Amino acid sequence: MNSKRLLNQRNLLMLAALILAALVPLAFRSDQYAMILMTTVLIYAVLATAWNIIGGMAGQLDLAMGAYLGLGAFTAGTLLIRWSITPWIGMFLGGLVSMLFAMLIGFPLFGFKIKELWYALTSSALVTVMQVIFLMWNGVGGPTEVYLPTRISPLYSLRFNTYMPYYYILLVLLVVVIIFNNRIRYSKLGYSLLALGEDEDAVEVLGVNSQASKLKALMIYAFVCGIVGGLYACIYGYLHPSFFSTNMSTEIAILGIVGGLGITYGPLLAAVLLVSFREYLRASLGGGMEGLYLAVYAVILILIALFQPRGLAPLVNSGYRKLQTFFGELRHGKPADVESH
Amino acid sequence: MLIDVHELNSGYGKVPILHNVSFNVSEGEMVTIIGPNGAGKSTLLKTISGLVRSKSGSVAFGGQEIAGITPDQAVRKGLAFVPEGGRPFPNMTVMDNLKMGAYSNQEVLKTGILEEMFTLFPVLERRKNQYARTLSGGERQMLAIARGLVSRPRLIMMDEPSLGLAPKLVDEIYEKIRTLKVSGLTVLLVEQNTSYALEVADRGYVLENGRITMEGPANELATSDHIRRAYLGF
Repeated sequence: MNSKRLLNQRNLLMLAALILAALVPLAFRSDQYAMILMTTVLIYAVLATAWNIIGGMAGQLDLAMGAYLGLGAFTAGTLLIRWSITPWIGMFLGGLVSMLFAMLIGFPLFGFKIKELWYALTSSALVTVMQVIFLMWNGVGGPTEVYLPTRISPLYSLRFNTYMPYYYILLVLLVVVIIFNNRIRYSKLGYSLLALGEDEDAVEVLGVNSQASKLKALMIYAFVCGIVGGLYACIYGYLHPSFFSTNMSTEIAILGIVGGLGITYGPLLAAVLLVSFREYLRASLGGGMEGLYLAVYAVILILIALFQPRGLAPLVNSGYRKLQTFFGELRHGKPADVESH
Repeated sequence: MLIDVHELNSGYGKVPILHNVSFNVSEGEMVTIIGPNGAGKSTLLKTISGLVRSKSGSVAFGGQEIAGITPDQAVRKGLAFVPEGGRPFPNMTVMDNLKMGAYSNQEVLKTGILEEMFTLFPVLERRKNQYARTLSGGERQMLAIARGLVSRPRLIMMDEPSLGLAPKLVDEIYEKIRTLKVSGLTVLLVEQNTSYALEVADRGYVLENGRITMEGPANELATSDHIRRAYLGF
């Protein structure tokens, strides 16, 4: 494990990707569609990377992303509308609200050992319940859309008329979440999550309090979803109970699974490839037959599940290793050391 | 007495499994609980380790009442449990599996416990960077026992270490268990493989339909008519 070496090949590769990601918007500055697309990809990438902690490492098929995202959005949005509190603060408060909510939900769920399919169903139902609550809650808008004000400066109210600032904020958030994800992966918490994802009884008799570990994972994940929710409200410019979306929640879980469970870069990879591919399909097929792009997208997902059940990341990893070996042979005339991750 | 179980009742939901089970294990002793399939042997170990909640009765460990504690607390008190089938974490390396054994007290890794385990189970050292899923059945069982020992427990409970293993591997596992006994470890061994268990243990209890029906020194049990007819088949 070369995780201590800061400038190993993997980190250099990530740095190159980051620089590229930071430069790309400059080329597409005037292309609003490309900017929307890239911002959307980043939203999914951040959420799916955070999902990796609870879904990939801890092995809990969480489908409640929308509940945490919606709570964050409504917290940050309402704070701005009612008390003119800047979303810069509001989104973190939104993250905190989501985190506390996750604690309230997770404590009994994990305490009663609700897991596997039952956890998936419960968490999915949570999104719908939250949507209904917010549809009836007139104090924060009820079923009507509530628009975020722009009367204060764009920087203060985080309401820009271009997507570029959002793109960069999300990019920073993504980097932070990835670093954090990696830290957790090789921490005591990370090992306990990975192990309990494989065999919960076996890990408990080794001294792991699985309820506490899962709760921590869920809270970290909800915190990130809440922050993204705050940004989400600013990007869309309004609040609506449709933010509590079961569809989007499921999609995040799909990205996490298709990317490669427990692999930090997996969900990112899946988000970049699949979300942009889906949007490309929507743009190119959407005009003709309604919903055709979704059918094509679904077929692609099924093919991945069939032929690459461990996810996209291992595929890329092995390709990367082959390249490494190939170039190593060119340079030294023998296979290069293959780094383990 | 290191562990003293008194009139323990336990079960799943409303289904009672154990009825007033009492037994004890002294420091440095190896005690086996034998009995047929479905007698409640696994439930007994799960209840002691906290995976299953007891309904009534007491479990005194080192003079302290531990009935009703959670599994992670049990480990911290020095109680290790090797579950049926070993159940190593398949997608973790052998080394990471062993280190998981030190989860409750990482300090223990500095005491050379891993080296001790590699001396006891040389095959684990050869396989330390392999994923546990690539191990054979016998190796998995050895890994599970080693993982349980890493925390330097005061008592280790093993649930059917011979389960599903070829006769040659059962021999091998029991040779290791004998080594552990010689080293002075306190062991509570649950087995269906009666002849092996009674050969290695100091004392034994027979658990049938959730009740202790016989107890005594292992060699006496091995020669008793009931045991010979019902379990040893001669």
